[in-house]
Amino acid sequence: MTISRDGTITDVNAATTKITGVSRDRLIGSDFSDYFTEPEKAQQVYQRVFAEGVVHDYPLAMRSTSGVVTDVLYNASVFRNEAGLVEGVFAAARDVTARKQAEKELAWRAEELARSNADLQQFAYVASHDLQEPLRMVASYTQLLGKRYRGKLDADADDFIAFAVDGAHRMQVLINDLLAYSRAGTQGKEVASTNSESVLEAAQVNLMAAIEEAHAVISHDPLPTIPVDATQLSQVFQNLIGNALKFHGPEPPRIHVSAQQEAGEWRFSVRDNGIGIEPHDADRIFVIFQRLHAGQEYPGTGIGLAITKKIVERHGGRIWVVSEPGKGSTFTFTIPMAEVSHGGYRRVRASSAS
Amino acid sequence: MVAIGECVQVQPAEILVVEDNPGDVRLMREAFRESKIINQLRAVSDGQEALAFLRKQGRYAHAIRPDLILLDLNLPGKDGREVLSEIKADPDLRRIPVVIVTSSKTEEDIVRSYNHHANCYITKPLDLEKFVEVVQAIQNFWISIVKLPPK
Repeated sequence: MTISRDGTITDVNAATTKITGVSRDRLIGSDFSDYFTEPEKAQQVYQRVFAEGVVHDYPLAMRSTSGVVTDVLYNASVFRNEAGLVEGVFAAARDVTARKQAEKELAWRAEELARSNADLQQFAYVASHDLQEPLRMVASYTQLLGKRYRGKLDADADDFIAFAVDGAHRMQVLINDLLAYSRAGTQGKEVASTNSESVLEAAQVNLMAAIEEAHAVISHDPLPTIPVDATQLSQVFQNLIGNALKFHGPEPPRIHVSAQQEAGEWRFSVRDNGIGIEPHDADRIFVIFQRLHAGQEYPGTGIGLAITKKIVERHGGRIWVVSEPGKGSTFTFTIPMAEVSHGGYRRVRASSAS
Repeated sequence: MVAIGECVQVQPAEILVVEDNPGDVRLMREAFRESKIINQLRAVSDGQEALAFLRKQGRYAHAIRPDLILLDLNLPGKDGREVLSEIKADPDLRRIPVVIVTSSKTEEDIVRSYNHHANCYITKPLDLEKFVEVVQAIQNFWISIVKLPPK
């Protein structure tokens, strides 16, 4: 449509008559702002066109005589007469109802996904927590049976009790791990500015016994201050260094931790000279309870890297491994340098209310 | 013979266990049985019963006042948190030490229990050996070492 200096419509196209439900004859001569849901706002934008000469994609809504509201993006510029004087405004309103609808749908789906994800985490937590009590009974009484009656029944009975005790014990370990895993997602603390070097040093203190036992040498570059949950970062360092200590080759473990700044994120690497991982197993090791080695050789349930991955992702980062069997592995994880607007953190906060 | 550092117990102590899981009550009895000290262990399974027992109401008219209370937090009906605050608000009952023995590890429960004057807070160990050790330690400390108020 074209609009004169004082805001009266001077001409319209067919689309405008359709959107407003008013005939061309009646539109011409009427005040343009009458057809918007917020006439004052429309007038303000109109004044801006005169002040700035042009307005791009200003969101407004138009209402037809029958009450149908259409979301539009308003584009307008002034037009001049032969003398070069501003005569009026040429305005085009683009119907973005479909796009708005799609955005709403997307937002709704994202919300739905976040909710079902939170539900699932809550479920895992409640299930593992509530299973502990009855399991404690099974484990305690099979242990008591073993303690009181070993050698008093027959050899079969001793075997059966031993299997029951062992099974209950392994299930306790698994449930404990499952709880730790679900806690990593639901019970993390707020992200705060943290000196990652002191976190690494604290993690090393916690691993002191294992480090000494393996005669390991651990070194690190200067490490940055980053926005993280310090407890969880410590857990990440402990899990990665703990793995490097555990899966070492014939040589004593040498472990190096470094950090590099890259495209809005910090890239932390933990490099070792251990047994390494076949490339085709590089993804599998991050899956909960997935293990590559038999229990006797390298004990564990396969929870450490799953928790590590969960923590890194909670912070909006990624984790991967590059490795050569027999030579060593380098685990790399990223931490965004500033809070991300629609990635990890916000979603995490929403689901950490429990 | 009495070992050095061990206290001589003159009379068997009365212990009230407030616990809704009979499996746990039995485990406690078994743990007590394995230790040398002979104590009397009585059990009730919910908060209402516990308070009736302590106040000698109804069928507990002839109940003996316990020297020590082992209290679970998650009980049906009136739960352990309410029982604890009622005991500690009662001028007659509040002298009886209350040991919270629960599976809850939440900070909220721990802080709240101490705020309501619990005498100590213990989380039930998952492992039988540890469980027995803890029950015996409770008994050893609260009955043999600690000087309790007269009844």
